[in-house]
Amino acid sequence: MPTISIPSSLRRQFTGGMTQLEVEATTFRRLILELERRFPGLGNQVEESMAIAVDGEIFQDAYSLQLKAGSDIVLIPKIAGG
Amino acid sequence: MPRLSYAAPTSVPDAIKLLAGAAGLAKVMSGGTDLLVQLRSGRTSPELIVDTKKIPGIVGIRETESGFVIGAATSGAEIGEHAGLCAAYPGIVEATNLIGSTQVQGRASLAGNLCNASPAADSVPAVIASRGVAIVVGPNGQRSVPVEQIVTAPGRTSLAKGEFILEFHLPKPKAHQSDAYLRFIPRTEMDIAVVGCGVSVTLDDNGVCIDARVVLGAVAPTQVVVEAGAKALIGSKLDEAALAALDAAARAACNPINDKRGTIDFRVKVAGVMARRTAAIAFERAGAR
Amino acid sequence: MNFVANKSDLKVVGTRPVRPDGMDKVTGKAQFGADLTLAGTLVGKIKRSPHAHARIVAIDTSKALAIPGVKSVITAADIPDIPSEEAFVGEGPTNFRDQSLNCIARDKVLYEGHAVAAVAATSSAIADAALAAIEVTYEVLPHVIDVEAAMAEDAPILFEGMITQGVDPKPTKASNIVKKVAFGHGDWQAGMAEADVVVEGKYDTAAVHQAYIEPHACIASVNPDGQTTIFASSQGQFMIRQYTAKILGMDIADIRVTPAEIGGGFGGKTIVYIEPLAVAMSRQAGRPVKIVMTRDEVFRASGPTSGGTIEVKIGAKKDGTITGAYAMVKLQAGAFPGSPVAPACMCAFAMYDLKNVMAEGYDVVSNRAKVAAYRAPGAPISTFAVESVMDELAIKLGMDPIDLRMKNAAKQGTKASYGPVFPVIGFEEVLEAAKAHPHWTAPLGPNQGRGVATGFWFNIGGESSASVFVNEDGSVSVVSGSPDIGGSRASMAMMAAEVLGIPYEKVRPIIGDTAQIGITGVTGGSRVTFATGMATTQAAERAVDELKKRAAMIWDISPDAVDWKDGEAVPAGANAGGFDPLPLAAIALKAAKTGGPINAEVSINAQGAGAAFGAHIADVEVDPETGFVKILRYTAVQDVGRAIHPSYVEGQIQGGATQGIGWALNEEYIYDKNGRMDNAGFLDYRVPVASDLPMIEAVLVEVPNPRHPFGVRGVGEVPIIPPMAAIGNAIKAATGMRLVSLPMSPPKVRAAFDAAKG
Repeated sequence: MPTISIPSSLRRQFTGGMTQLEVEATTFRRLILELERRFPGLGNQVEESMAIAVDGEIFQDAYSLQLKAGSDIVLIPKIAGG
Repeated sequence: MPRLSYAAPTSVPDAIKLLAGAAGLAKVMSGGTDLLVQLRSGRTSPELIVDTKKIPGIVGIRETESGFVIGAATSGAEIGEHAGLCAAYPGIVEATNLIGSTQVQGRASLAGNLCNASPAADSVPAVIASRGVAIVVGPNGQRSVPVEQIVTAPGRTSLAKGEFILEFHLPKPKAHQSDAYLRFIPRTEMDIAVVGCGVSVTLDDNGVCIDARVVLGAVAPTQVVVEAGAKALIGSKLDEAALAALDAAARAACNPINDKRGTIDFRVKVAGVMARRTAAIAFERAGAR
Repeated sequence: MNFVANKSDLKVVGTRPVRPDGMDKVTGKAQFGADLTLAGTLVGKIKRSPHAHARIVAIDTSKALAIPGVKSVITAADIPDIPSEEAFVGEGPTNFRDQSLNCIARDKVLYEGHAVAAVAATSSAIADAALAAIEVTYEVLPHVIDVEAAMAEDAPILFEGMITQGVDPKPTKASNIVKKVAFGHGDWQAGMAEADVVVEGKYDTAAVHQAYIEPHACIASVNPDGQTTIFASSQGQFMIRQYTAKILGMDIADIRVTPAEIGGGFGGKTIVYIEPLAVAMSRQAGRPVKIVMTRDEVFRASGPTSGGTIEVKIGAKKDGTITGAYAMVKLQAGAFPGSPVAPACMCAFAMYDLKNVMAEGYDVVSNRAKVAAYRAPGAPISTFAVESVMDELAIKLGMDPIDLRMKNAAKQGTKASYGPVFPVIGFEEVLEAAKAHPHWTAPLGPNQGRGVATGFWFNIGGESSASVFVNEDGSVSVVSGSPDIGGSRASMAMMAAEVLGIPYEKVRPIIGDTAQIGITGVTGGSRVTFATGMATTQAAERAVDELKKRAAMIWDISPDAVDWKDGEAVPAGANAGGFDPLPLAAIALKAAKTGGPINAEVSINAQGAGAAFGAHIADVEVDPETGFVKILRYTAVQDVGRAIHPSYVEGQIQGGATQGIGWALNEEYIYDKNGRMDNAGFLDYRVPVASDLPMIEAVLVEVPNPRHPFGVRGVGEVPIIPPMAAIGNAIKAATGMRLVSLPMSPPKVRAAFDAAKG
């Protein structure tokens, strides 16, 4: 089961301080649905405002992204630029 | 709705008549490098613009027995290309050529730079240092005015209604007489002077200063002739003591403001620095003549 | 397409052909936002608040409407009062209501220059008269400008309902603090305790503007049936469409936006200011309306970047290993939430492999123009402080500053300070190239000093669309949706030519409008060569597949038996048949017979953008009497992944470095005591001029990004990040003085000398 790092901005509000979460989801889409189910509001927040880094590569808005156990998976804010 | 007329008279009397007879605000235009900018920004709204460039002699430089006659509307570019003027008054030329940029130099004039009456005008301290005289024409005839008497306050001159400057006279420089102009700006170009300094010195055959004029710009409402600075130089060969006295005199003569171009403290200190450096160049040039 | 690892395999990519837009630009023919005029175009102008903070009591437009020649006058009352709605538009988080209020104020003005009304008239003079005739009654309120003043207990409050997010416990009183952010891992305080040496400092930076030479300009035309066309200077035609639709309550289908040639944006044109107003007035007047901002308006009322304060503390062992790092970043967002404090915190320590690191920050509103993105938003600000403290640390340790970076360099497998573990990155290669460069060991004279600083940026991917059309003569049109702000259309043509195997001169790159090409995100975030390049490459590959199929039909063999080589279809092997190669042009001639026009279109959401690092070396000479800092020599080393067109990559690096140098030395927003900008023009807002800079040498390091078919990493943003600290460090080396406040202008340098003398 993949493990996700939760950033501090979301921990306080949604996960009661938990920094790491084991999830069943195997894609980013399923992750959003699972997070929404387990912590109402979190899934939507992640979908709208977060990107996800898997083994260092950053993915934004990628429903079909595969999540595997053993990968380093970190949620970070969506990144803009100038 | 604003009204604007433009006239380009071909004689001095015609120009005087237009300016003296204008009902509303009338502006003289030489190169227009200040006027057009102010028009577009709404800072000035004249009803009449009198373009003087068609008046015979107002554009051009003449070298005579007694010195130089520079037409009031002569461009900085033309001034910079005049070999005789460059040799005799390198400080006035370099000061004039600092105005704006290469493009602006194609139009900018000594009369415009002077009569726009900005405290930071670049050519003015240099012309004053070399005792330049403005020939003013108007409804009451012609008069000679030392350039330092033209500007009375920021944006204001001593010219009466109907008057304008026809030309500038510079005396033939004596032996071992030369000048220099330096300014401090935060970049290398395109800035208004934070401090400007024009220095003219005359040396004797032994390199001792027998006459000097030190003029500061951008550190007071109008250009400042630093009498104590001249005294510090006269009788010296620009040794350490003379430089220190000059620095102190320049600082004491300042009456600057804090603004987006410099603080009072910075302007005062840099005025001393510029005075020293400008004097050094003037001395070197004078010694070489 | 398999990732091409060998540069030697490439025929077009990596060369330096002439850019397709060059001729029009140097002859003045290029059509910028202000250049298009339609029949009946009206002049649009905007009335702006003279107050930094005030309630709008009343606006009387009746006298303006009565002036002959005035065809439209609008206020906020003429556009919908839309609800607050967060979204990710273009490539940044936004709030549609804030955007609407920023375009035209409702109830309150929040900065000097805030738009309160707009007019459209038959001439510029009449428009000016109309503006003067609009009577606005204000109730002036106290204002606040700087970030720490805005955070103070007694600060004037901009939004009565603003409760700071991200702090525990949740505040009960409104403030100007929008939110708190924090990024890091480990225990930074324990890390500090372990250190042999600790260095700290507090730094501050002023707001600066992107200073694009071309002001915002647009022309909008609304038909009686509601169909609307907009021609605008912009970094994103789809972004304009989306914002205009939201702000005016229109259907996206009714709006068509054409991006003009753009004279610079740097992030400042990734949102809208004038387009919704031009559309609203065109609808009222029944005629096209053109609005062109003046330079004064650009400074006062578009989007500079934040200024703020940064406190940094770094602890290290005697051998240079960093044991703990901490930063506190406070950035002002201007009149509405949204400073780049999050990326500022994320990038601050991203160059380093740290076990204990924390960067926290506050987003704070104040009565100044709402900030917009500026080239690597946030990162230059925090990096200035971090890289200055790193320099102090190197001095205290007696260590070469590049060696100190190398000792702690992030590499593949490092857990970044902002969270993820780095994949393949090129920071070590960049440091090695900097250290090996002759600049690093060149001799220096009196009053001269050398500084080095590094920087990091994520770069992004995102939505991009591209089409490849094969023309009857075998030439190819490549249409994409990305406005070209850095030479990208040349790169698109080069990548397509490379895949198709045809000369660059046979490819014509076009930037499509919103009706001609699929949705594409803004040009920004260093994404175009990466993401739109990926779409272009994939479209070219699909075109190749189709060309092979058509060749198979012509030869009457199976498509599997056809290969593509150097722009020609060739039989895959001897068994396929002894056919002569069939060039693209020959296949194109038979397109109708073999199935119809040969086109390919690709739309993607590109993932896997490659992060990039830079290291800059600056030599300065400082005049102790005037405080003037002269840049003697400047070298910018950067990992670019792979340079598609090296000249434009070098251009991006030189341009970014130049903007960083201006930010370091002379650029700043100066306010008077009434909260009005004092230097809203290029005379006194001092960007570097050509004579201020030596030739900036750009050194391209290539550690390809395996996710991109050509190995591209974004390049445009990294180079603005290191200059401020590089110059600050050089000044320290030249004078012994550490300047902590930007800009490091002559009065400040001279004052530092005076203070040092005692």
